[in-house]
Formats: sequence, structure tokens, C-alpha cells
Amino acid sequence: MNTKLKVSKISKIYPGCIANDNVSLNFESGKIYALLGENGAGKSTLVKILSGVINSDHGQIFLNDKLLELNSPKDAKDNNIGMVFQHFNLFETLSVLENLSIDSEKKNEELRVLVNEILRKYNFKIDLDVPILNLSAGQKQKVEIIRCLLRNPKVLIMDEPTSVLTEQETEDLFLSLKKFSNEGILIIYITHKLKEVLSLCDEVAVMRKGKVVSVSRTRDEELSSLANKMIGESLIKIKKKNNNTLSSEEILKVSNLNFISDDPYEINLIDINFTLRKGECLGIAGISGNGQNELFQILSGEIISNDSSIRFRNKEISKLNPKERREFLMAFSPEDRISQAAIPSLKIYENVALNNFKTSNFFEKGFLNEKKIKNHSKKILSNFSVNTDNVNLKSQFLSGGNLQKLILGRELITSPELLICFNPTWGLDVGAINYIHQTLMQINEQGKSIILISTDNDELLQLSDRISVINQGKLSKIINAEDVNPEKLGLLMGGGVIDKN
Amino acid sequence: MIKIEKRNEAPNSIYFLTPVLAIFLTLISGALIFFILGFKPLEALKFFFITPISDLYGLSELLIKATPLCLIAIGLSFCFKSNNWNIGAEGQLTFGGIVGGGVALLFYNHDGFYVLPSIILAGAIGGMVFAMIPAILKVYFNTNEILVSLMLVYVSKLLLDYLVVGPWSNPEGFNFPETRQFSESARLPILIEGLRIHAGIFIALISVFLAWIVLYKTYLGFQIKVSGLSLKTAKYAGYKGKTMILLVFMVSGACAGLAGVGEITGPIGQLHRMISPDYGFTAIIVAFLGRLNPIGIVFASLIVALTYLGAETAQIFLQVPKYTGQVFQGMILFFLLASDFLIFFKIKFLGFKKYEY
Repeated sequence: MNTKLKVSKISKIYPGCIANDNVSLNFESGKIYALLGENGAGKSTLVKILSGVINSDHGQIFLNDKLLELNSPKDAKDNNIGMVFQHFNLFETLSVLENLSIDSEKKNEELRVLVNEILRKYNFKIDLDVPILNLSAGQKQKVEIIRCLLRNPKVLIMDEPTSVLTEQETEDLFLSLKKFSNEGILIIYITHKLKEVLSLCDEVAVMRKGKVVSVSRTRDEELSSLANKMIGESLIKIKKKNNNTLSSEEILKVSNLNFISDDPYEINLIDINFTLRKGECLGIAGISGNGQNELFQILSGEIISNDSSIRFRNKEISKLNPKERREFLMAFSPEDRISQAAIPSLKIYENVALNNFKTSNFFEKGFLNEKKIKNHSKKILSNFSVNTDNVNLKSQFLSGGNLQKLILGRELITSPELLICFNPTWGLDVGAINYIHQTLMQINEQGKSIILISTDNDELLQLSDRISVINQGKLSKIINAEDVNPEKLGLLMGGGVIDKN
Repeated sequence: MIKIEKRNEAPNSIYFLTPVLAIFLTLISGALIFFILGFKPLEALKFFFITPISDLYGLSELLIKATPLCLIAIGLSFCFKSNNWNIGAEGQLTFGGIVGGGVALLFYNHDGFYVLPSIILAGAIGGMVFAMIPAILKVYFNTNEILVSLMLVYVSKLLLDYLVVGPWSNPEGFNFPETRQFSESARLPILIEGLRIHAGIFIALISVFLAWIVLYKTYLGFQIKVSGLSLKTAKYAGYKGKTMILLVFMVSGACAGLAGVGEITGPIGQLHRMISPDYGFTAIIVAFLGRLNPIGIVFASLIVALTYLGAETAQIFLQVPKYTGQVFQGMILFFLLASDFLIFFKIKFLGFKKYEY
């Protein structure tokens, strides 16, 4: 039977951000649909609405012309909408069959027969009696898919399914998806990988800033046209500061940096090489979850990478921890303001004391010098226009922007040679963003260097002298900011390569 | 109608009021239990909580019981504050007792100022070494310190068992499972003639003072606090996580070892099977009841010590088993954890007005 899914005028508004803006889409079974977009484009919000995890503010969803009320994931399941999330919802210590029986009303033996049938039909090879923790990521995903198939889905939504898969597993997955599609299951495939869209899907809807910007057949598209649509023409070059302070003096040299993680959800970094000059801002772009986190932690010393991979002013620093690196006048501003860069339940001056230089004497002979820390904190609050002068205030009462000013102030007040920051303006309002951008430009003008890891392309183009894109743990060729255009950026972010010339 | 709301921020007072509430609820439930058992609830509670400390002897016994609880809980607060779950203080106490006791037996019939200090030092080192086992395994082999420290409790208890029936048993002891009585020089001095209260209380008080200084006034204390609140932040700040784990376990083990040696050189005066009525486990309750704050722990140790005494009195006067004490200890922890709900949520009484849906 033909399945038609219609999404009509869906809107979802969060404070300060329109996640879905009047989204209307039509899907029909027999085809595989791609939903393409970068971070924050609204893909996840839309599929969460489709799977009943969140409610939309406006709009309707029709399945075969029947209006759906999706108030919970159960409603979605009852209406034969299946969803496989990027992160698996499986109990690691339970067996495959036990996991499947959790949300099934069938008896174990009955279930085993049904599952075996599915295994045979799609040529899946999974032992039903081993615990989940013994399975590979691809096999775990198959368990999640089987869980959906058991409910005879009409619609199957896959959220970035290949991010944890190997190449072989990806190929297998695509074969299975095509099979499902032939059997009449409507498949919606969410991704930011351009190649996958072209090789797997029949139609592609591109989302940008909460809106659907294009719906087309994939055979009418190519990598560059999709890249253009994903990044958008809005990418206006804002000519920034004058970079006459740029010297040829080398500050940081990263060579042959490799990092292999034990955690399957972390990204391995492969052969990272770059140099950073004095007064330069190097931007690192990319879709989030492509190794930015790992790269930041390795540069800050939270993760120790391979030997002699990082040199700062020609001194080997690969083995130093963040505290020791700070003594070399490096400063770090992590992405996570609330649970890493600062602790909300601590007072402002205590959060300032986290960044403790030998020379700042916050702790004389091991004893807390509260007076010194407080004076230092007061200086940060006034120099970086944080809107309080009470150093005893708990940091949780600062707004995001003010907390970020405090953190940047803490890192910058000691005049570091190099600032490494990761999404410094994430989630802030326009005023705070402008302030922080100005501050970052100023420190470049003072001859200090910056590594700016960011998922905000406008920010990167505004601040960087050169830009590289990180994809699947690999850095692309570094391009001068003037030579960057939406097509190049989109291609690199989507895993493509650009011409060597 | 009652409405439960999430708090934006808990007022500081709630951290002191919830333990009081927990004790209050424990008393009510205790009264109920006594009532069901057929006793007059108020009278039973009086036997339990008032009679034991109504004379000087009782007060001295209270302090004797509170001393080890306080010492161990102070040590545990270092671990718990930094997110290290040392559950094996009982084992560290026992091992400290064994090592201290061994030195005491070595100096049997020795007279000299050095005897007692070396026993105390040996006890502290013993506890410290024993606590290092789960710490080292955690740091270098990523084992779970809860399981390892807990299992080591039984190792040390069985070792003590073996020693007191085997090699260290009293040659003139008619095969009773105990060692010789230690010499006078190996005993902590009695503070008041006729009572059992001994100088161990000073060790506890000094440790309270030192813990307060370290936790609130030093860089180390700051690092412990930060690590406990967010390991991610501690890593970002560049604190040496492994060194800190080893250190807090050392402090904790040393305190438990001191408590053990304080028992055998104080009220007991020899080694036998029962050198501790599970002080090491009960101290976990003390540490949390005192909110991991040194001053709070002093008060909490007195309250929990009272449940030990009350259980003994109740056994004599009401003929209920002395394990009733453990019931009360369990209830205190239970209600404390339950009332911690109030830290994160507040209950609003909206009156009995018509509720609008």
C-alpha cells in the first residue's frame, strides 16, 4: 500500500531561535528522502516532532490523509513511524533478544521466530543471545532497525546513521535501506553528508536556519549545487581587521598529530598538520561532531596525543597538561561554558581561580589568597564589562553572555600569546556576540594568535585569516579567508575535496 | 493542594535544615516502630535517646563512641567531596588496628615515651597503606573503588581473625581469640578518673581542625572541591587527577587507621575479633549527615553515637535486640537522602482553593 506523509506548515519556536519556520514537505513511499542541512538548520527539530519527542507550536502532520496527534514517542510508534537515533537506546548488558522484548508485547519464543524471519529476509547476521556490548556499532544499529521493523513501520526515519559506521557497514546499511524502500517503507534520511545524499536518496530537501530552502530530485543535483544550497548565499564576506600585524613568526606548529580513541562515540584524529603565525587567527570550520572536541582537548592538554606532535614557539609541549601549557602563555576557552569552563555553583572569584598562573600567586604556599583572587576578579569584571561587580556572586546568576565574558576575561587578562577557543559565541545574544568578536579582533591586532574552532561560518569568515575544515577527524587544506566561498566550504564540510589549485 | 516546583537555587539554610528534618522523621518512625512492638513510644524513645546520656558516665561513653565515627567521617569527607567512593573505611580501620596492635605487642612490657606514638603512627600508616590498594587499582587499572574497598573489608577482618586465634593469641589466654592486654605505656591516657574517656578525642578534634583548614583554605581543598563538582572542569584546569585520588584515599585511610588504633589503645586495650561495631560503615552515614563539613560531622557523630548507646540501653530495659541501633542509623540515612529532594525542589502549599486545570 502506498504511504503518504505530509508535513504542513510546521513551526517550532524556542526563545531566541526559530528552529522550524513554516516547514511543509511531502513524502511518498517507494522513495528515499534526504533531509540535508548543517548544524542548527532544524533537521533534528523536525524529526523530533515527527517522532513525538517534542510538540510543534503550529502545523499539522498527515499520514495517508489522516491527521496525526503525536504527543509522545508512543503515539509515533502506534502510527507506524519508526525512528533510529544517532545514539542507540540499548541496554549494553542485556542480550539482543532481551532488548527487543522490552517494548514488545510478544512472548520471547514468538519474538524469536519473528526476529529470525527478519534476519533471514534481510541477511542480517546477529546472534540473538549475546549481550549488546559485544556487538559492533553497525550491529547495534541493526538491532535498533529490527526493533522498528517488528512494528511493521510505514515510515522509517534515520538520524545521521552513518556517523558511527565503518565504510563496509555504511554500504550494508544502504543496501538494506534500498530494500526497505522497495518494500514500500517510506524512508527519511537525515544527514549533512553530501555524497550519501547523491548515492542513496531519490529526493532531497535542504534546510537552512529552520526553513526548507529547496526540494529537488537528486539526479538533478551535484555535490557543488547541494553544497551551495546547504551553506547558502547569505555568506557575505565581512572584511575584517587589517592584518598588517601578521608576521612570519611561527607560534604553534602541529605536525603528524594522531589520536585514536577507545570511545566509539569519539572521533579519531588523523594526521593533523598546521602552523600558526603570530597575530594570526586560524579558523577551523566543520559540522559539529567531526573531531572538533577532540582537537580542542588535545591542543589544551586535556587529552595527551602522540609524542612531539605539538610545538609552541619551538618548544615541545605535547606531554604537558593544561596548567603547564598555561605557563607558556596559552589560554583556552572551551565550548561548554556551564560544565567545563566554569562551575555554576561556584562564586565568580572561585571560577577565576581555576586559571592559576604561577606568577598570579592565587595560592601562596598552598594557601588560598582570597584577597588577591578577588582583586584580580574585580579587574576582570570591569575590564571585560561583565554586568556585575560582585565577585561573591554565584556564577549561575550570570547570563550566558556575561559568563562567557568572564571566562574570556579570565583567559585574556594575563595577555596570552595564543588563545584557543571553541564556539565562543554559541547561544549568545547579538550584543554579547559583537562584544566577543571585537575582543577577539583586538587581541589579533595586539599581535596575539587565535585558533578559532567554530561551527558558525559567518563568525569564521569575519574573524579568520585562514580557514581549514575538519571532517571525520581530518583537516582539509588551509585556505585564505578571501578565497573561501560557500561552495568550497560546503564541499569540504560535507566530506568532499576541492581542487588542489 | 500541594504543588512541587523545581528550585532555581537552594537557600544555604536548607543544607542544615534537611539533616534536622531527617532526624525528626527518624524519631517519629522510631516511635511508630516501638508502638507496633507494643511499647509506649515516648517512653521507649526516652530510653533510647535520653537515659543513656543522663549522667557523666553516659556522656563519656557518648564521646568514646563519637570519637572514631568523627575521625573516620572526616577522612571520608575528603574522598566523597572529590567523587571517590571509599566504602571500605571499616577495613582500613581494622588494618590500622592490626598494624598498631602488632607494634603494641612488639613493645609488650616496654616502658617509654616512644611506645604510644609509634603505635599510633603505625596504625595511621596501616590504614593508609590499606586504602592505597583500591586507590592504586582505580588509578592504574580503572577498577571500581566501591567494590574493591568494600571487599577488602572482609580481607582485613579475616586477617584479624586469623591473627587473634593463631600467631598473636595470648599464650596465657586459654585459647580465647584475643591477644595479650597491652602494657600501660601502650594505652591512651584516661582523661577523667573513673570514666573511660581517653585522649583519643584530641586526635579527633585536631583532625577536624586540620580538615577544615585544608578543605576551605588551601589549594588542595579547592582542587578537591572543583573535582567533586565537575571532573571535566578539573581536567580543563589541569589538576593532576591521579595524584589527587591517591591523596584523598591516603587521608581517608590514615583517619580510619587512627580510629582503629584509638579503639585498641583506648577502651579495648588488646586485639580481638570485635574491635569495631562497624564504625567504618556507620561513619559513611555520619559523613553525609554532617554534609561533608567538618563542623557538621562533629554534631553528626554525636547523634549517631547516641544510637549505639540507645540500642544498648534499650536492650537492657526493653529487651529489644541491640541491632535496633542499626535500624535507627539506617532510617537516618534513608530520611536524609529522601529529604535531599527538598534541595532541588520546593513544595508549595496552594491552600484548598478550587484547583484550575
